This record gives sequence, structure tokens and C-alpha cells, in this order.
Amino acid sequence: MAATVIQVKGLSKMYRLGTTGTGSLRQDLQRWWTVSVRKREDPYFQVPSSVSPTAQQQVLWALRDVNFEVKEGEVWGIIGNNGAGKSTLLKIISHIVRPTSGVVRGKGKISSLLEVGTGFHPELSGRENIFLSGYILGMSKAEVRAKFDEIVTFSGLEGFLDTPVKRYSSGMYVRLAFAVAAHLEPDILILDEVLAVGDTEFQKKCLSKMREVSQNEGRTILFVSHSMPAVLKLCQCGLWLQNGTVRESGEAHQVVNHYLLSTQLQRTEQSWANPEKAPGNDYIRFKSVELVPHLVLPDAPLDIRAALTIRFRFWNFTEQTLISTNLVLFSTAGECIFDVPSTALVCQKGLVGGECTIPGNFLNDGSYYISLYVVKDTDTSLFDYEEALAFELEDYRGDISWYGKWWGAVRPQFPFQLTQPELASQ
Amino acid sequence: MPIEESNWDWEIVPQTSWWGTSLAEFWQYRHLVTGLIRKDFLLSYQQTVLGPLWVLLQPIMTMVTYVLVFGKVIGVSTQGTPPILFYLAGIVLWNLFNDAFVGTSTTFRDNVHIFSKVYFPRLIMPFAQVSGQLLRFSIPFLLLILLIGFYWVFTPWPGLSTAPLFLVPLVIVLVAAISFALGLIFSVITGKYRDITYVAGLGIRLLMFLTPVIYPVSYLPEKWRWLAQLNPLTTLFEVFRLALLGKGMATVPQFLYSFTCTLVLLIVALLVFNKQGDKLIDVV
Repeated sequence: MAATVIQVKGLSKMYRLGTTGTGSLRQDLQRWWTVSVRKREDPYFQVPSSVSPTAQQQVLWALRDVNFEVKEGEVWGIIGNNGAGKSTLLKIISHIVRPTSGVVRGKGKISSLLEVGTGFHPELSGRENIFLSGYILGMSKAEVRAKFDEIVTFSGLEGFLDTPVKRYSSGMYVRLAFAVAAHLEPDILILDEVLAVGDTEFQKKCLSKMREVSQNEGRTILFVSHSMPAVLKLCQCGLWLQNGTVRESGEAHQVVNHYLLSTQLQRTEQSWANPEKAPGNDYIRFKSVELVPHLVLPDAPLDIRAALTIRFRFWNFTEQTLISTNLVLFSTAGECIFDVPSTALVCQKGLVGGECTIPGNFLNDGSYYISLYVVKDTDTSLFDYEEALAFELEDYRGDISWYGKWWGAVRPQFPFQLTQPELASQ
Repeated sequence: MPIEESNWDWEIVPQTSWWGTSLAEFWQYRHLVTGLIRKDFLLSYQQTVLGPLWVLLQPIMTMVTYVLVFGKVIGVSTQGTPPILFYLAGIVLWNLFNDAFVGTSTTFRDNVHIFSKVYFPRLIMPFAQVSGQLLRFSIPFLLLILLIGFYWVFTPWPGLSTAPLFLVPLVIVLVAAISFALGLIFSVITGKYRDITYVAGLGIRLLMFLTPVIYPVSYLPEKWRWLAQLNPLTTLFEVFRLALLGKGMATVPQFLYSFTCTLVLLIVALLVFNKQGDKLIDVV
């Protein structure tokens, strides 16, 4: 059994909001008075009910009673919404800020990369910056020297070593900075959103470097990311933080799925019992619309693999009319992805139903909404039901080890093969 | 499987320790100190016309001003020491004190972006500052030595016959240490309350007049001398001149007083810096 290398116990972190300056100085004095002189409890720590509401508002718990253990060689993905406490957690483990209560214990050398290019100085040359940022990240002179060539090759900036970094493009800057960090050799590596920067080619390089490091060298990694495919690919374990507490921790796939399910913004079902309140006009009123996803697995999030069936019913108040319906899919940016017409049907007064299925592995990941346009005689609009349904498709990459944003409005899977005719003919 | 407490290499707890960084940890980051000094030197003289010459030009120009204003116009007696040497000695030592203080007192303010992203012993930053200033000091100091040599050889000035020369490096280290200690304390205060920066700047300018930089202690009326001598820098400046130029007012108890003050100040500063440094990251 692998040894525990990080143990986080009852970790909490409180921030006092408000401005520094006189207000804070007064608070400091007040605090000092109650805690040190009167030997009472810290008014800002316990937030007892006796404290005035203004004082309570000035307190923010970034983390509250967080517990987990990391074993040697494990790669953890830390996920959660913005403000959930992910960065604060990493900062405490990295020894940058102190917790308000609780303890973190660990074994081995720890290096953290919370930002790309910490300690870089724009006026210095690439060469000087490699050394300086190496030292800041905890490398010795000998280590940087030994890795220097590797770092330069990794960054691909051989020709620019003596140019001041301020003349680099932002892409070059990031490449150089990550190249230094990628050659750190700690026992525990802490990464915060480093993949959010840089071009896709370089992102790929970084991810494969991280995988190499975790798999071949058995290094423990804590990794904060908003890219779920990257977390799924790299991490065995997941930690889901919500409002400073651990919502779930455990096997990465499961945690990521549950997280995605909770965050998806969806309006997948609407129905109205009586026509008065239903959306529509004198000709048409909608009774129900629903979106039924056909998930790959019952507890999987709604991702690009799922086929989507759209069902709807409306009351038709016109007599003997040739009716058809267009299903129009928009991205949230308002761009029309497609417009599918139904067959036309001569309808009597009463309920009309319709159903359409968008195949799986067709749409790209992203947020969409669907509008339904009811048409008379295939040319005259009867009623436009805008934004009838809204849904979000998560990304799924499978075996593809590239995590940049996939191009295109749609992501269909057409039959596509590679062959090598010369080899086949032999 | 119960894990024994002693198995852990490190532990992060809410309480900050007074001693903070261990010496071993500090030693691990020694390359960072040299790296930072190197950085400061490279940066100071990039895109300047005269480059490192500034290190010399600034004290020379100040010295000329002082010689004219205090020596010629006001007529402060330098007790037979050539005014040029007298003022240059004071200026060179005072610049060391001033620059090291200014460099260290903004440690937290200037490095928040680094301190909030990566851990290393915080003390490294001000320590590198002071070390850099000491190195820089060596250039005008060398000029001073050369000038003393020049006067000794080419003028009737008797020079340093009985001077306790060995005290010179000690005085330099003590002056730098006081500056470092004050800088550390002020770095914590200015990190928290920005406006104190102005107070610190003003305080340092006033302190210069309370220190025998532009006048010798003997110039003061006898009944006020004790007041000036409460300032630990006073005796250090006098000893510096006594050792190099042969004229100065200092007794052994006075020197021991300065020495003790420096030591106490340094220890207090290190404790305050370590204790408050961690908490500051939340505030700055």
C-alpha cells in the first residue's frame, strides 16, 4: 500500500473582507483587545451571534473543514466552480498562506506552480530568467545548469535566449516559463490552471509531459482545472469543492460526472395544463416540450456522445390547415447551427405532436437552445416559439489526448480512414 | 494504518512560529540570494547612459554640495580633517544605511505578486537586498580609500597613525544590520498600512540630521551630546571616521551600547518579520 504523502485535516480558511487602512487597524486593535487583554475568543474567528451583523458580513470562509488524504503517486484533480476554494486550498498546501484552523502534513519536497512565469522579470534575458525562476521555484544552481539545455529545447526558444523577455510574444513567454517549471523535480507537484494559457500545441506538450512525470516517475500531483477532459485523462482521483467544503472526493470519473451533472444549465422539460397560460397565440399554443437525452451510461453527464430526442405537443386552433414545424438549433452566441423542417401535415383542430432526434456524436460541445417555428402552408408563420429548450453538451475526447477547444459548429463523425497504399500492395 | 506524527516531513498549522525559517532551509535557497543580487545589478544599469558610474557620481556630487554648503557657507568645523574626506566618509556610510533601508522596507509591497504565488523563506528577499547594497557600497568605499591615500601622500594632512582600522568592517556590518532591522520592521508595517511609507521616508531624512553625517559630534554643545549619542548610529559614524580619518568621539562603553542596540534590534526585527510575514500575505 502506498504511503500517505499529504494529509489534510479539518482545514479552514477565513478571510476578513473590507479595506485595509483605518478600518482594519481599528479591527486589529479591537481584536487584540478582546483576545490578548480580555482573554475572550476572537470575535472574527468564531462569529458568535453577539457580533454585529456588519462584522459577520466581513468574514468569508474560503475553506471550511476540508479533509482528505493523498497517497504517493496519485494524481488528484481538484474541481469546482469559481470561488469554491480550490486556489486557496492549493495556496495553503503550498505553504503560501496559513490556514485559520486545521493542519496539513506532508512528506517530501513540494513544488507549486500557481501561475506561469512567477519571478520572471521582463527586462532580463531569457537565459537570466531561466536561472532566476528556477531558483525561485526551489532549484539549485547545479540543477538548473544540468537541465538548462533540456529546458531550452522544450521551450523551443533557442534563438531568443539573450533577448529580454519583454520583447517576447506572450506565447513565447508562457513557453519559457512552463519549460522551467516542467523540469522541476519535486516529490509533490501542485498545479493551478496552467493549461489555460498558451497555444494548443504547447498545451498538448505540457499535458504529455505531466502524464510522463506522473506515470513514469511516480510523482504525486495536485491539479486544479476547469477542463474536465484533462482531469479525466490525467487524474485517478477527484476532489470536488463547493463553497469551501468537500462535496465529493474519490474516483475521478465519478466525481467529474457528478460535478458536471450538477452544473449543467438545462431547460429540458416544459408543459402547460391549460392553454391560457401556455406560450402561443390565437392559432397555436404549446402544451409541452421536452428534451430526452439518450445517455451512454445512466449516470453519465450530457456530453457530445448522447443522442437527443425533442418531443413537443401543441394545440392547433385552426381548421383544416397544412402545418409543418421547423426545429432550429442555436448556439448561445446566437449563431444558427441548423434548421430542420418537419413533414407537412393537414391538421384538424386539436393536439398536434412532433418528435425529432439529433444523433449523438454530431454536435460540438457547448451551450445551445432550440426554437420551434410552426408554419402554415409551408410559407406563413403561425407561431415562433423562441428558446423553447436550452441545454449544454459537455466535451468528451475519448482517446484523443488534445484538450484545446474543438473547432467548428458541429463535430460529426464521418467515416474517415487512413491507408498506406504502398504497404497494402506488397 | 495509524501514521506516527514523526513520519511527516513538514506540517502547516495556523500558528506562525517566531523563528520561522530554519537555517538549513535558508541555505537551500542560497542560489536565490545570488540570483536576486545579480538581477538587481543587471536591472539597475540597463538602458542607462553612464551605467555603474552612477554608484560613484551620486556620492561625489552630494559631497561637493555638502563641502560648499556646510563647509564653506555655514562653516561647520571638521577639526582639521580635509572637508572632502570628512563629508565623503559620512555620505558613503549614510548612503549604505539609507539604500539598504529603502530596499528592505518595501519587501512586502514590492513582492506581493511573487509571495502570493510561490513559497520560499520570505527573509531571502530583504537579505538579498542588503547583501546587494553592501556589494554596491564597496565601490564608493574604494573611492574613499583612494582619496585618503591621495591626501596622505600629497598633502601635509597627518592621516591615520593610531587608527583602530580593524573596526571599519565591523562598523559597516553594524550599520547595515541596523538598516536591515529597521527595514524588516517597516516592511511589515508598510505592507499592512501603506501610508506609513511616507512616514518612513520622512523619518529617515530626519534621522540623517540626528546622526553625525554632515557634522562631527564634537560640533554639538556639550550638554546635548548625550541626546545624539542615544542614537546607536552616532557612535558608529564617529568610530568610522575615527578609524579612517583619525578624528572622532567615541568611547568603548558607547561602542558597546551601539553594538547591543544593533543586536537587540536585529533579533526583534527577525521575530516580528517571521511572525507577521505569513499573516501579511492575506492582507497585502
